[in-house]
Amino acid sequence: MIFDFFQWLQSTDLMTFIRESGLTYPVIMSTHLTCIAIFGGLIVITDLRLLGWAMTDRSIADVVNGLRWWKRLGFVIMVTMGIMLAGSKATEYYPNPYFWTKLSFLALVLIHALIFRPLVYNRPQELDATPAIPTRAKAAGALSLILWTGVLCAGRLIGYWEPPQKKNPVAASQVRELVLVR
Amino acid sequence: MLLIQANPISDALNSSEWVFPIAECLHIAAFAWSIGLIAVVDFRLLGVGVQHSSPSQLAKATAPWTLLGLAVVLLSGPVLFLSDPRMYLYNPSFRFKMLALVVAIIYNYTIHRKVAYSDSSGTAARALVGVVSLDQRRLRRPVYRVRLSSGRIQ
Repeated sequence: MIFDFFQWLQSTDLMTFIRESGLTYPVIMSTHLTCIAIFGGLIVITDLRLLGWAMTDRSIADVVNGLRWWKRLGFVIMVTMGIMLAGSKATEYYPNPYFWTKLSFLALVLIHALIFRPLVYNRPQELDATPAIPTRAKAAGALSLILWTGVLCAGRLIGYWEPPQKKNPVAASQVRELVLVR
Repeated sequence: MLLIQANPISDALNSSEWVFPIAECLHIAAFAWSIGLIAVVDFRLLGVGVQHSSPSQLAKATAPWTLLGLAVVLLSGPVLFLSDPRMYLYNPSFRFKMLALVVAIIYNYTIHRKVAYSDSSGTAARALVGVVSLDQRRLRRPVYRVRLSSGRIQ
């Protein structure tokens, strides 16, 4: 079922174009990475503020509200680029365990948002009103850092995984034998 | 030029299939960290983002964290490079990346720093410095293309 969807996605005109054009794929990948560099930092600074490690002379509300829409914009661009990168090679990504690890981390990011938006991000003024930063805010910051690091590492490892038949020594030796027989 | 020869450092780095991926994850996480924090200041210079802080407050608050990220980038980078110095040295995009990196670091700690730290600078000057700083990131894009052609990515 999922594989059928991947196959269909990969064969759409857009994804075929991305895969077959020489420059489009690298440009999309560079944009994806540039977004990671710029908007990843926005996430980092928000998390560090929630933890009380940086920007402590600025209010939490200032940092959270000031960067919110930029993080959303960055997230949308990053995900759009990501879908195009994975979609154009969907059937190659399907067996890759790191691809599914990355999606799992992204699912956890979604759950993180569902839990902590009402508790932390939607009312930063309340966090500033208390003398010490509440545990829920620190937990939100720490978990966000961990989850996004997970997304990033799993994403990078996608490129290192090879399907089993490529590095299976038995298969390689069989190929050698075939060559020798000839 | 010794580096171009097969050397024990490369051998050690290539002896485990996990050294390169782990170093690269660190490298990317650290550049997201450091470049992103500089971007926060850039956005402020352009008049968006954290509005209630002045550029100098933001720049001072992020400086130690930016430096930490940069340090990890500059430590993990050579590990990646030394795993296959020949491939990188002869790669024009790698040379371009190094040039862009040196320019970006010098720019960040001279002009960018001076303008960000002086809140009295005119809006135009601030905006210009912010745009140039953000734009340098685009210069670094071809680097990824390099690694793509060398087969590191997909």
